Amino acid sequence: MNTVLRVQNLSKHYEMGEITVRALEDASFDLYEGEFIVILGPSGSGKSTLLNIIGGMDTPSSGKVYLRDEEITDFNEKRLTEYRRNKVGFVFQFYNIMANLTARENVELATEICKTPLDIDRIMEDVGLSERKNHFPSQLSGGEQQRVAIARAVAKNPEILLCDEPTGALDYTTGVTILSLLRKVNKEFNMTVVVITHNAAIADMADRVIKMRSGQIIDIKTNQKPIDPERIEW
Amino acid sequence: MKKLDKRLLGLIKHTKGQFIAIAVVVAVGLMIYMSMSSAAINLQDTLDDYYQLTNFADIFVQVVKIPEKDIPQLLSKYDFLDIEDRIVLDAPMITEDENERATIRIVSITDEDRINSLYYVKGNPIRDKDHDVVLVEQFARARGIDVGDSIKFQLNGRQYKMNVRGIAASPEYIYLIENEQNMLPDESKFGVVFVSKEFAQQSSGLIGSGNEVVIRLKDGQDHSVVEKDIEKGFEKYGLKRIIRRENQLSNRMISEELTQLRNASGSVPILFLCIAGTVLIMMISRMVKKDRASIGVLKALGYKSSQIIVHYTKYALSAGFLGVLAGTILGALIAGGMTKIYIDFFNIPILKINFYMIYVAWSVLFTGIFCGFSGIFGAKGILKIMPAESMRPEAPKSGKRIWLENIKFLWRRLSFSWKLIIKNALRNKKRMAFVLFGVILTCSLMVATLNLVNSTISIFDEHFSEFQKMDYNINFNTPLNKNVTKEISHIADIEHIEPKIEFPFEMRFGLRKKIVNIIGINRDTRFYDFRNLQGDKTYVSVKGLLITENLAKEMGASKGDTIRLHSFIPDRKDIYIQVADIITQGLGMNAYMEIDHMADSLLDEQLVTGVYLDSKDSELVSKLISADHISTIQSTQDMMDVFQEFMGLTIMSIGIIVVMAGILGFSIVYNATIVSLGEREMEFSSMRVLGFTKNEIFSVVLRENMIITIAGIILGIPFGHVMGRALGNMYSNEIYTLKITGSLKTDILACIFTLIFIALSQLATFRKITKLNFLMALKNRIS
Ligand SMILES: Nc1ncnc2c1ncn2[C@@H]1O[C@H](COP(=O)(O)OP(=O)(O)OP(=O)(O)O)[C@@H](O)[C@H]1O
Ligand SMILES: [Mg+2]
Repeated sequence: MNTVLRVQNLSKHYEMGEITVRALEDASFDLYEGEFIVILGPSGSGKSTLLNIIGGMDTPSSGKVYLRDEEITDFNEKRLTEYRRNKVGFVFQFYNIMANLTARENVELATEICKTPLDIDRIMEDVGLSERKNHFPSQLSGGEQQRVAIARAVAKNPEILLCDEPTGALDYTTGVTILSLLRKVNKEFNMTVVVITHNAAIADMADRVIKMRSGQIIDIKTNQKPIDPERIEW
Repeated sequence: MKKLDKRLLGLIKHTKGQFIAIAVVVAVGLMIYMSMSSAAINLQDTLDDYYQLTNFADIFVQVVKIPEKDIPQLLSKYDFLDIEDRIVLDAPMITEDENERATIRIVSITDEDRINSLYYVKGNPIRDKDHDVVLVEQFARARGIDVGDSIKFQLNGRQYKMNVRGIAASPEYIYLIENEQNMLPDESKFGVVFVSKEFAQQSSGLIGSGNEVVIRLKDGQDHSVVEKDIEKGFEKYGLKRIIRRENQLSNRMISEELTQLRNASGSVPILFLCIAGTVLIMMISRMVKKDRASIGVLKALGYKSSQIIVHYTKYALSAGFLGVLAGTILGALIAGGMTKIYIDFFNIPILKINFYMIYVAWSVLFTGIFCGFSGIFGAKGILKIMPAESMRPEAPKSGKRIWLENIKFLWRRLSFSWKLIIKNALRNKKRMAFVLFGVILTCSLMVATLNLVNSTISIFDEHFSEFQKMDYNINFNTPLNKNVTKEISHIADIEHIEPKIEFPFEMRFGLRKKIVNIIGINRDTRFYDFRNLQGDKTYVSVKGLLITENLAKEMGASKGDTIRLHSFIPDRKDIYIQVADIITQGLGMNAYMEIDHMADSLLDEQLVTGVYLDSKDSELVSKLISADHISTIQSTQDMMDVFQEFMGLTIMSIGIIVVMAGILGFSIVYNATIVSLGEREMEFSSMRVLGFTKNEIFSVVLRENMIITIAGIILGIPFGHVMGRALGNMYSNEIYTLKITGSLKTDILACIFTLIFIALSQLATFRKITKLNFLMALKNRIS
C-alpha cells in the first residue's frame, strides 16, 4: 500500500505560564492511500491538535509530517495555504458553511480555487442534495448542512479528507447517514479519510483505528473486517 | 443577574474593538458638541463681562450742541441709570507721509471715565489735560505707536501735537469702524484718540457743551419708550441721531459674528451628535444580531427577555459612558483653546473661560438616551429569538436569486469571485447598509464642508471681478456737487469714472427695521453687474430699489413690496419706495437706486458722496490725496483685504468644522469596517481553512467595500450638497452671503478624502485578516 502521509515524532506543547500542556506527545504513524482511519480518544486527548497539524492549520512544537515526499511541517505560510487548498479537505463538527451562500455556492467556493476539482453536480448528487442545492444553510437541517460541508471538502478532490467529530452535533440516524456518506466517498474516489471521534462504536467501521489518551498514541489497530456504517449502534 | 454582569465584562473584553469603536464615535460627537457649544457661550460671556466691566452705553445720542449743565436735570427727568455728555469729532491725522490719509476720531473722556470706560493695556490715564491722549489699542498696534510717542492731528484749522500717555481698549471700538460707509475695519487708516473733555471743548469751540450723550438705562427701562422720549426731549439740542446699543456699529458687527457662531455651534454639534447617535444605534443592533446564538443560549438557560435586553443595554451604556468620559474631557480642553482663538479675533482684552457642567449633563443625558434606546432597539429582536432557531445562522431574507442573476449576459461574464462578492453584498443588506451609511455620511460631510470652504474663497472673486468691477472706490468727506467727477478726471489719468451717492437709511417694513446703506449709481453703470435671483441681468431704475437677497430675507420683503425709508438727516420726512428687484450679492447688505432718482427723492439736491473709477495711473492715490474733500480711497485690493480679514473668524470656524468632519468621517468608516469585520470572523476563518490566501480574502473584502464605497459616494454627493447649503445659510450674515454652489472640483476632492479614510480603515481589515487566528475562531463558535 502506498503511504500518503507520514507522521514522525510529532509533539505539540503549550506553555501556560508555569505549566506546560502536552497536547500531543511523540506521535508517529503512516496513512495509506484509500484508507478509512478513525482516531479515537476521550475529550482532551489531543485528537484535534493532531488533525490540525496534519491539515496544515497548526504547527507542531517538534516532529515532522510528510505528504508523499514533501515535508509539510517545513512549509512556509504560502505553501501551507496551497496545501490546504489542494491536498486536504476539512469537515468540522460545526458545519462552518457560509450563511449567505446557497448549498451549491458553498461548494463552488472551494472548487473555484483548487487545481483539480470534481464535478460539482455529481458531488451534490452523491451527498443527496441535488434537490436542495439552491437552498440556504438556514433552510437546511443539521445533517444536510453537514453534507454540504462534506461536499465542499470532497469536491476539491483532496488527497486526504479530515473530519473532526463530523457527527458530534447530529442525532444517531443522521450521524449514521453521514458516516455512510464518508465511507462512500472513501470508496468511490479512493480518498484517504480520517475521522475523529470519542465514540468507540464508530471505530468498528474503520480500516484502522488510532487510539489516543493524554496526548499520546496508545494503540494502532487494524480492523480485519470493518463493518458497514449502517450496522453501527450506540 | 450577577452571572450576566460577569458575562458583560467578558463580552466587553471579547469585543473590545467594537466597544472602543462605539466609545470613539460617542467621544468624537461629544467632543465637537462640548467644544463648540462652550466656545460660543464663553465668547458671549466674555463680551457681556467686558461690557459690564466698562459700563458700555445703552443709548448714544448725537446732537448739535448740548450744555453740560443740562445733564443732571436730564438724569432725574428720565430716570436714567447714568448719563454723560462728550465731544466726538473726526480729524485728519498728520503723518510723515503726506500722501497718506488717516482719520482719527477724537473722543472726550473725563477723569471719572464712567460710561464706555477704557481698559488700559499699557500706560496711564490722562494727567496733563492739554497734552496727554490715550490711543485705541488696534490703531496703536497697526501704526506701531507706543506710550511716550506723540501723535499729530489738525482740528479747526489748528495743528496739535499730543503725547500718547496710554493705550487702551474701548468697548465702543472692539471693531474699529469709522461709519456705515466703511463697515470694514482698516486699523491703520482710522483710529480713536481719547482726549480730556477740557481739551476737546477748547479745541472744538464747544465750550461748556458736548455734541453727544451716552446713556445707561436702569434694568427694565423700555428702550423704545426711552427712544420716543429722547426724540421729543432732545429736539432743542439739535437732535441728529439716536443709536441704541444693538445698532452701535462695533457691537452690531460683533453681534453678527456671535450670532453666526452661535447658530453654527447650535446646529453643527447637534448634527454631529445625531450622526454619532445613528452610528451608535446601528453598531449596537449589529452587534446584538451577531450575538444571536449566545442570546439563544441565555434564553435556553431560562433568562427572561427583559433581563437579556437590560444586559445588552448595559453594554451599550458602558461603551457610551466611556465615550462621555473621553469626549467631555477632550471637549472641555479644546473649548478653552477654541475660545481663546476666537477672542483673539476680537479686540476684547479680557477672557472668561468657564466650564459648563450643563454640557456634561446634556452629554450624559444624550448618550444615556441614545445608548439606552439603541440597546433596547438593537436587542428587541431578542424577544423574537427562539432558542433553537438562534443556534442556526440567520437566513438571508431575499429569495434564491439576486436580481443581477437575471441579466444573464452580464452575469455570465462575471468571474466567480465577483459573483461571490456581489451576492455577499446584496444578501447582507443590513451589514452593507451600515457600511454604506458610513460612507455616505463621510462623503457628504466632506462635500458639504469643502463646498463651504470653496464658496468662502470664491465669494471674493465673484464679488470683485464679476459683481463689482471698479478699481477704486472713493468717498468724500462731505456731499459735493456732481461736477466734481469732471474735476477728478482732470487731476489724474482716469479711464472711466462714475458718481455715486452712499447714505445710510433706516428701512422699515412691517415690524422690521434695519439700517442699511443705499447706493445711488448711474443706470448704465459699468461698475456693477446686477443679477436677480433667476440670474438675469437687471438695472437700477426710477421704479424703485434693488435690494440684496440677504436684506430681502432680513426684512421679509419681496419684489413689489413698498418699504419705508427713514432718513438720519434731521427734519426729513420718511419716504416710501418700492422694491423693484432682489439681487444676489456675496459681500455686504445694501440697496441700490438710480442716482438722479435718489438725489431727487432722498436728498433734494444733485449731490454726490463719492465716485467709482478705473485708472491705471500709478500715482492716483497721491494725486487724489492732495485734492480737497476726499476722505477715503479704497482700491479693490484694499477692499478684498479688509473683507478677508473680517472673514478670518468664519474661515477659522469652518476650518474647525472641516477637521471635525474629517475626524468623525474617519471614525464612522473605521467603525463600520471594524463592526462588519467582527461579524465576519467565522467567514474568513472558514475561507482560510478552505485554502484561501490572506490576499484573496482581503481582495474579496476590498472589492466588496469598493462597491459600497462607489454607491456611498454616488449617494453622498447630492446629500452633501444639501447639507452644504444648510451650512452656508448658517454662516451667512449681514456682511456676506455664502451661496453654496457645488463644483466638480470639490466633489472630486471630497471623493479623494473619503477614499483616503476608507483606504486607512481598510488597513484595519488587512490587519484583522493577517492576524486572524482561524483555529481559535472556529473553536469559539459561541462567544
Ligand atoms: N490553544 C491552546 N492553549 C493551551 N492548551 C490547549 C490549546 N489548545 C488545546 N489545548 C489543550 O490541549 C489538549 C488537547 O486538546 P484537543 O483539542 O486536541 O483535544 P481533543 O482530543 O480534540 O478533545 P475533544 O474531544 O474535546 O475535542 C487539551 O488538554 C487542551 O486543553
Ligand atoms: Mg477536538
